[in-house]
Amino acid sequence: MNTVFAFYVNFPIFVRMNIIEVSTGKAFPIEIIPVEKADYKSLPKSRYFFNWKDEQNEEIYKLVIKGGNTILGLVSLERIPSEWRVHIRLLTVSKENKGSEKEFDKIAGNLITHAAKIAIAEYGELACVSLKPKTEIAQHYIDKYKMNVTGITLSLEVPEILDLVNLFDNNE
Amino acid sequence: MTQDFEYGIDSRYKNANEKTSDSVALMQARLERMKNLPKEQIVRAKLLQLKLRMENYLNEPVHDDKTNFTNFLGIYIDAIYSQRNKFANDINVNPVFLSQIINNHREPKEEFFFKLMIHSEKAFKNVCNFQEEIWYQIYYQEKISGTMSKQNQWRPQIEKQVKFSELIEE
Repeated sequence: MNTVFAFYVNFPIFVRMNIIEVSTGKAFPIEIIPVEKADYKSLPKSRYFFNWKDEQNEEIYKLVIKGGNTILGLVSLERIPSEWRVHIRLLTVSKENKGSEKEFDKIAGNLITHAAKIAIAEYGELACVSLKPKTEIAQHYIDKYKMNVTGITLSLEVPEILDLVNLFDNNE
Repeated sequence: MTQDFEYGIDSRYKNANEKTSDSVALMQARLERMKNLPKEQIVRAKLLQLKLRMENYLNEPVHDDKTNFTNFLGIYIDAIYSQRNKFANDINVNPVFLSQIINNHREPKEEFFFKLMIHSEKAFKNVCNFQEEIWYQIYYQEKISGTMSKQNQWRPQIEKQVKFSELIEE
């Protein structure tokens, strides 16, 4: 690369992913963007279930409603290029989005889809997303996201990984 | 009460041994599955990869001076065709003309964009949602970035030719 030029043409860019407000059924466009250093102050374990400061050196993304600040979900990823794989290290939704009283649906699915999009953009037809949920919840992910099972590792590959991206990244 | 299985996953490997043994097992299983992957799914994956890379390019705040349009065009053709001549034939352009565009020896004209948009509309129809105008967006993004980043080359000469004779009062 000879020249780097910070000039941005603001073409309309492709916001298609959304979450659903459970009480109204209304769809809200979202964005999934890197966590910034200042965010760690507002990520207590009591609300986000894990100690996210421990993940500061990892690749972490937050899910927010487009234009909003409230972090509704988080995912920490590890890219493993030698295996054409993106491993989901840690994933959570915020406390108010857990359980039968949750405010929004589809948060976890969108975060898994974000990992899938990174894997496909990087590795194409070899792309893989993996995770290791606890045994008692594994079947849920197998059924809902059509994940493959290898030992206790669940994974998404072509063609299922493509179907997932199309399902979550295709809302007009 | 309905259980919520999606509030959290901790998939972190406990140690290097666990990671290695899981990686080996997973890779073996994946390679077996890949053997049976139909060609159309490979093409589907390549096209979705291209689309995501094009979108990522446009979303980047900083752009390089590479010829991204022709790079993406080459990837697009190679994802679908074994020979670029076949693509030239399908969009009714001379293979030499296509080669000149891909190698940046000739600028694509509007008719080429029209054909490319219609072709990619058909190619992506059963793959994913594809906004065919993205070809234009990438092309012009590249042109604007190229023009503005090379101001030190063209500005001194051009400035001599431009004057402003009208007075604008404060």
